[in-house]
Amino acid sequence: MRVADLLQKTEDRFLNPDEIAELRNFVAGMPTRLQIYKKLRDREVPILQAVADQVDRELPNADPKDVEKSISSLMLVLRYCAMALLMNNDEAFLKQRILRWLEQVSTAYNLRRINEVIFRYLNQLISQEFSPAELGLLQPLITTAQVTLIY
Amino acid sequence: MSKLNVLDLISDKPLIANFFDYEAYVRGDLELGLLENRRGDRLISIPDTMINALYQGLSKETGQAARLVMINCGKWWGKSFYNRFQQSLQDFYGIPLSEMDMLTFVRSLKEYWITHGWGKLEFDPEYRDRGLIVIKTYNSAYSRSLPGEQRPSCFLEAGILSSFFSRLVGRELVAVQTTCESLGADCNHFILGIPERLSRVEQWVLDGMSHDAIMQKLVL
Repeated sequence: MRVADLLQKTEDRFLNPDEIAELRNFVAGMPTRLQIYKKLRDREVPILQAVADQVDRELPNADPKDVEKSISSLMLVLRYCAMALLMNNDEAFLKQRILRWLEQVSTAYNLRRINEVIFRYLNQLISQEFSPAELGLLQPLITTAQVTLIY
Repeated sequence: MSKLNVLDLISDKPLIANFFDYEAYVRGDLELGLLENRRGDRLISIPDTMINALYQGLSKETGQAARLVMINCGKWWGKSFYNRFQQSLQDFYGIPLSEMDMLTFVRSLKEYWITHGWGKLEFDPEYRDRGLIVIKTYNSAYSRSLPGEQRPSCFLEAGILSSFFSRLVGRELVAVQTTCESLGADCNHFILGIPERLSRVEQWVLDGMSHDAIMQKLVL
C-alpha cells in the first residue's frame, strides 16, 4: 500500500495495530531499499551501456535512432523504478508517472522488438548485480514496466 | 562496442519525461489561496455547474449567437494556450517546438488535456496527408446540450482546437465538430482543415450525416 495513503486515510484517529505493523515493515525494509537505490544510481551507465551493446549484437540492423529512443526510455524507467522503490513499491506511481507516457512511444514507433531484447538482457544483468533479497523488491517493478512496454 | 554511447546520451540529450504529469504539474500555495502549475501560472478549477451556467446564461442572453460567442471565447483561449504550451515545452526540454518530434508533441497535448480535467484527447493521423486533422475527445467537460438545439455543442473546444492548430501549422484552420457526447455519441469528433474545404460540413452534420460519411465525402 502507498505510505502516503496509509497516513492520510487515518485522518483524525491513530493508526491501528495492522497499519502500524505495515509501517514498521516498510521502515525495516528501508535500508535495503536505499541500498538498491544507490546501486541503481551508481551502476546506471554500465548497465545501460551493456544493454545497448547487447541490442547491437542481437539486432545489428536496428535503426540507431530507435535504439537511442529505447535506451532513453529505459533510463527513465530505471530512475522511476528507483523512486517507486523508496515509496514502498508504489506501482501506481510508476504507471501514472512514466509508463503511460512511454507506452505511447513504444507502440507508435514499433520499438517492441528492441524493447524485448532490452528487457530480457536487463533482467539477466540485474539478477547478477543484485542479491535475491534485493531482487525481491526490485524485480516486480521492472516486470510491471516490461509488461506495459512490450505486451 | 555499441554505436550508442550512454554517457553521451546522458550529457547531451534532454530526457523526455512527462511535463504535464498531474502530480508534478499541479501545485499551489493553499495558504495564499493559490493553485498553480509547475511554472507558477495560476490555475483555477471550475465546478461543472459553472460550465452549465455559462451555457444556459449565454443561451438566454444571446440566443442563437451563444455558440458563436463560445467559439470565439475558445479561439482567444486557444491562442494563449498555444503560446503557453509552446513556451512550457521549450523551457522544459530545451528544444523549440519546431524541432520536437510529432509524437512527443501529440502525447504532451494529450497529457495536457487529461491533467486539466478536460477529458481525454486522441489524435487520428489517418487523413493528415490529405490535409485534414481528426481529433477525438472523450468525457469532454464542454459537451452539453444548449436548450432547444440538436447539434454538437463543444463550442469552446472547437474554438481552442482551431486556434491552437492554426498557430501550429501557420495558416488559418477551422475545427468542425461532427459527433457529440451530448447527442449520445461515444466521443466528440472534430475535423480540422482550411475553411473553404470544410464550409459545408456544418450543414451536413445538421442534415444528420455520420462522421464517417462526411470524411468519405471530404477525401473523395
